[in-house]
Amino acid sequence: MPYEALDFYDVDSLLTDEERMVRDMVRDFVDEEVIPKIEHACRDGVFPDEWRVALGEMGVLGAPLEGYGCPGLSYTAYGVICRELERGDSGLRSFASVQGSLAMYPIWDFGSEEQKQHYLPKMASGEWIGCFGLTEPDYGSNPGDMITKAEDMGDHYLLNGAKMWITNGTVAQIAIVWAKLDGVIRGFIVEKEDSGFSAPEMKGKHSLKASVTSELVFQDCKIPKDRILPNVKGLRGPFSCLNNARYGISWGAVGAAQACFDSAKDYALSRIQFTHPIASYQLVQNKLAWMLREITKAQLLAYHLGQKKDAGAWIPEHISLAKMNNVDIALEIAREARDIHGANGILDEYCIMRHMANLESVKTYEGTHDIHNLILGRHITGIQAFTREL
Amino acid sequence: MTIAVLLKQVPDTTAKISVNGGRVDENAVSKWSFSPYDEYALEAALQLKESAGGEIVAITAGPARCEKLLRDAAAVGADTLVHVSAENINDLDSTQVQMLLAAAVQKSGASVIFCGKQAADTNAGSTGPGVAEIIGASCITLVSEVSADVGGYTATRPSSAGHEKVAVSAPCVFAFDKGVSEMRRPNVRGIMMAKKKPIETWSEADLGVDIGAPGVNIDSHSPPAEKPPGQKFEGADSVSTVVGKLRDEANVI
Repeated sequence: MPYEALDFYDVDSLLTDEERMVRDMVRDFVDEEVIPKIEHACRDGVFPDEWRVALGEMGVLGAPLEGYGCPGLSYTAYGVICRELERGDSGLRSFASVQGSLAMYPIWDFGSEEQKQHYLPKMASGEWIGCFGLTEPDYGSNPGDMITKAEDMGDHYLLNGAKMWITNGTVAQIAIVWAKLDGVIRGFIVEKEDSGFSAPEMKGKHSLKASVTSELVFQDCKIPKDRILPNVKGLRGPFSCLNNARYGISWGAVGAAQACFDSAKDYALSRIQFTHPIASYQLVQNKLAWMLREITKAQLLAYHLGQKKDAGAWIPEHISLAKMNNVDIALEIAREARDIHGANGILDEYCIMRHMANLESVKTYEGTHDIHNLILGRHITGIQAFTREL
Repeated sequence: MTIAVLLKQVPDTTAKISVNGGRVDENAVSKWSFSPYDEYALEAALQLKESAGGEIVAITAGPARCEKLLRDAAAVGADTLVHVSAENINDLDSTQVQMLLAAAVQKSGASVIFCGKQAADTNAGSTGPGVAEIIGASCITLVSEVSADVGGYTATRPSSAGHEKVAVSAPCVFAFDKGVSEMRRPNVRGIMMAKKKPIETWSEADLGVDIGAPGVNIDSHSPPAEKPPGQKFEGADSVSTVVGKLRDEANVI
């Protein structure tokens, strides 16, 4: 059965013609080049390199950035791209999110003119892959206490420390690494060949299997002085990047949910039990109706947030709400879809269990579900509840 | 050199077709797409332009919905977009549509014309030869590949022995079968340029052509007959019956 994207309220009619053309382009790419290969890629635990090439050729990397070879699309278009990619697989969307929002964006916003000209065109074309090193083994939700540090050695910086859970790390040519210089968080551009830098791949994941996840290790890693991001200090740097990536995830989760719904609907209509399709039973219809309800709400959240992003009328808490809600419902939809598929739901003939396993990661990365609740709690009450004196 | 590519917007192969009042209900078509053979023609024209230079004018005839098709053609590289406005395209017969297209081709200045061998909706297969007849051009059908040569073009088409290469000079029409390459995917740059590209809309009057009255009228459409329900056989006694049916009725053994 060809994929039919659920759009109950015809939300996509609100997109511009250009945004719909971008949607169709990415959707065709996913149909033709991702869906036929994704299960194999997951079994092998690899991100197919031809997807990198195709993303570069389509010109969707760093979608909302302007200049330096970047497309300059709307944030809404960027959201649509994320949604269509994640309909294929969260790992594919993760690749694009990290490249665009976490590696290209900080260079574009906080880098020097020379850095922008040197790195951004090759990253937009997909020739160079970037990654983003913020999380450490002992500092996930609490990146402010990171221990990776940089020292000014006069003619270079010396980097020491380790990062963990870094998407694209092993395959990246450059890493945006956040480290403390004299106690202040700064961004550094580390290149693959820099001495004292290694990026071993983390193995054994049950989730995001078609995505490369790595550690970044710095042992007296020498960085030339011109590789510091000159225009940002403190957590504002990494958080600015995360705002954009989380925004993309709020759309991406809708794509994963649409894929699960589509599969569940088709399966329920064709699966006969007790002489009738299981879609004719009230319990199954209740599940499908709930999925439709939640996907429709999530679509509206994502679209409206996109409009706010494009208008510049947004606050990070808006993004927290959409990321948290949309990933949460996508994961629940994947679980319900698995239930509708019965035993068949555990097979890789169907996309749902792969999406379900992926979404467990997506719920945790880029600000965990609970951390986003705390961000909203602080917004409502004015009282931060992340930490307290014990 | 100007290359005209004739494109037709048809219901997507995944769209459900319903018949209402004896005609296909266009309002019920959820998705419109390029006719697949036209995609091969467009891709081959783009490749010819890349190897031999020139400009591509994409031409479609039909109601306003067809403008999306032209934008999609621009996104992959069509230079000029021409919409022959015909809100009543379904009331025209093939000859009338060919008269409109031929006039548009002549107005565009193109002497080389690419099109699909048939459209995926009507499968009439008359556009290429019909347009060629009207403008007095050579017509090569079932083409899979076209290359530029000194003074003309070489087209590859099937023959009883395999393939034949046909030399032809302009003016000429190439009606495409499945080509060598699938139509390329657009990219963001192409899409953004397509958005800015003007669409020239030409009416029958603009083209200065009188297409007259249709010579052929479609009486009615009807959906394909429903498949007969499956038959069920139980027990070893039915083996010979089942084998007989598989052999004589289903022709599968």
